[in-house]
Amino acid sequence: MRCALVVSALVIWSSGVAAQNLPPLQPIPPVLHPADRGPDPLASTISQRGFIEGRVFLFPHMAPNDTTRGIADVLFREEIFLKPARWIQFAAGFDLRANSHDQVEDQWRLDFTDRGVRRPRAAIRRLTATLTARGFNLDIGKQFIRWGRADILNPTDRFAPRDYLNVIDTDFLPVIGAHPSLQIGEETFEAVWVPQLTPSRLPLFNQRWTVVPPDAAPAPIEDGGSRISRRSEYGLRWTHSGGRFETALSYFDGFNHLPNIESRVLPARRAVELTRVYPAIRTYGADMIIPSGWFTLKGEAAYFTSPSGASEEYGLYVVEIERQTGEWMLDAGYAGEVVTSSRNSFPFAPERGMARSIIGRASYTVDPRRTIAIEGAARESGQGVYVKGEYSAAFGQHWRLTMTGVAIAGDEDDFLGQYQRNSHGSIAFRLSF
Amino acid sequence: MSCIGFFVAFVSSWFTVAESRVVAADDARQIVEEAQKRSNSKSERYEGVLQSLDANGRTTEKRWTFARLGSHGASKSVIRFTSPAEVKGVALLVVNHPDRASDQWMWTPAIERDRRIALQDRSTRFFGTDFSFEDLEERDVNQYDYALLGEEMVGGACWKVQSTPKQSRSSQYTKSVVWIRKDTFAFAQIESYVKDQVVRRMEYLDIRNVQGIWTARETVMTDLRRRSATRLRLEKVEYNVPLRDEDFTLQAIHRQ
Repeated sequence: MRCALVVSALVIWSSGVAAQNLPPLQPIPPVLHPADRGPDPLASTISQRGFIEGRVFLFPHMAPNDTTRGIADVLFREEIFLKPARWIQFAAGFDLRANSHDQVEDQWRLDFTDRGVRRPRAAIRRLTATLTARGFNLDIGKQFIRWGRADILNPTDRFAPRDYLNVIDTDFLPVIGAHPSLQIGEETFEAVWVPQLTPSRLPLFNQRWTVVPPDAAPAPIEDGGSRISRRSEYGLRWTHSGGRFETALSYFDGFNHLPNIESRVLPARRAVELTRVYPAIRTYGADMIIPSGWFTLKGEAAYFTSPSGASEEYGLYVVEIERQTGEWMLDAGYAGEVVTSSRNSFPFAPERGMARSIIGRASYTVDPRRTIAIEGAARESGQGVYVKGEYSAAFGQHWRLTMTGVAIAGDEDDFLGQYQRNSHGSIAFRLSF
Repeated sequence: MSCIGFFVAFVSSWFTVAESRVVAADDARQIVEEAQKRSNSKSERYEGVLQSLDANGRTTEKRWTFARLGSHGASKSVIRFTSPAEVKGVALLVVNHPDRASDQWMWTPAIERDRRIALQDRSTRFFGTDFSFEDLEERDVNQYDYALLGEEMVGGACWKVQSTPKQSRSSQYTKSVVWIRKDTFAFAQIESYVKDQVVRRMEYLDIRNVQGIWTARETVMTDLRRRSATRLRLEKVEYNVPLRDEDFTLQAIHRQ
């Protein structure tokens, strides 16, 4: 009896221990005194990044106005970020270039405005002061301003001129201005003021990416320069970034960074003079992202009006479906255009040139060092198509090799097809530091 | 008398054991709740060193800074790469919610754009590491159902708990098995399943007491299908540091 009681007591005791044997709760640790804290990575004072890249382009075919089939390009880029206090940050970027095909200016000067026909040899790429206070943010200076959510075409991205010296392989250009934004919960309100337009850089008139009509080929082309208004530009944007969807509405009043080309015959020199004129526009834009369990739906649209009546009025829109499955990222969409008012103007408009096209992109991550991507566009008329394949591989912590092949085909009177002689391959080595 | 006494003792002990078994089923959630409570902090930050090892034995190293504000299911975190040079500045903003999947955005300085990481993207590996975007989310105890599977030794005596995501919580994983240390309530290991196959294993190593919170200074995520692994070493770990809410916004990750 005594043993049974002891045994049962032992059983009762052990089960109670099993249910309640928890180590004592540790007291909540106090907030560290500032002197005991390690450095705050969010308030780091100075950082930098940069690279040197050498690139070679090879064109199998000659063009009527350009017999050069190999182009070498070198770019040195350095960016420094300084954050002396939590509420202010400075960013500066510097570019140094060289090119074998007269695409870089000869003179040694430090460019700031990016309005030259050629790429500057030395340029301030970025010079910005950023002030922050609670949900308010103000960027002042030379900066990149990107609007829009689509990947293939961004009709609402009006403060993002590009370098089109190579129409397929473009780079964004910064603008000089002020960009305040205020975030309240899921809503963000932005404004942009730019004192003067920074235009996109067009293909050089004597090079292959300016396609001369066959009947005009014998006449030399002279560059009549650019007519850029001194009036300022401004834009407003509201964005909702919620859990179920994201959407934005935008308004822009300024100038198209893509010009109309005005031509004039010079009988004395038996030449044709081409002048870039940047028309005033107003755009009303919207974009939306709807993520779901199967794919992400993206859409973006803008309606372009011409206050001066010098340009056409039209709407550009793009609808995309994006899906990531395993290591594949797939993106397909359609870019469309609706012209509501025609004018007799001759724009250089790659955005509109890509409209009425089915566009797609697929990329595959082979491993942490290597990716493969292929993208293409085909006009719905079948008159123009381009395909671009890219392989990129990293070596060590600093080196990257990128090989690209571009094939272009189509009719000469199609925006894409006109570049059929410009299919090319390129190889680039980059050292990042 | 002795037989009756023995019978009473036997029956009472049987009920006691049965009661403890019923308590153990509830204990699974209690254990996870206790583990969550003991790792609770208002904020956290650290510098991370990642080494990814692929199936061929090649390693790549990346470094990031991590900051979190808030705790378990209602927090925001920012991961920003600091090395190597070509990914420096890439940032991920994660906004966790107690009742649904997190919202995530990735900022890429090279194209000056941020990109929303959609739900179906969450199974994708994050920047070439073996952590998927979902693995970078915080798990709140209320988003899962639990069952106690027993006890095992993993770095120490552990409870073995199965957690199954509730319907409201979309997940690439069918279930996870979690090993929780009995002495510290720290996680020792998590195996994540797709159907009946273990696809990822997360090991928590070098567990130390940092400001009263048992912290794994090293985690190893192994992708068992790809036969690759990523080791994350946490340096300069700090809890309850004063962080600003405005540093966990889309505007903030745009700042380099």
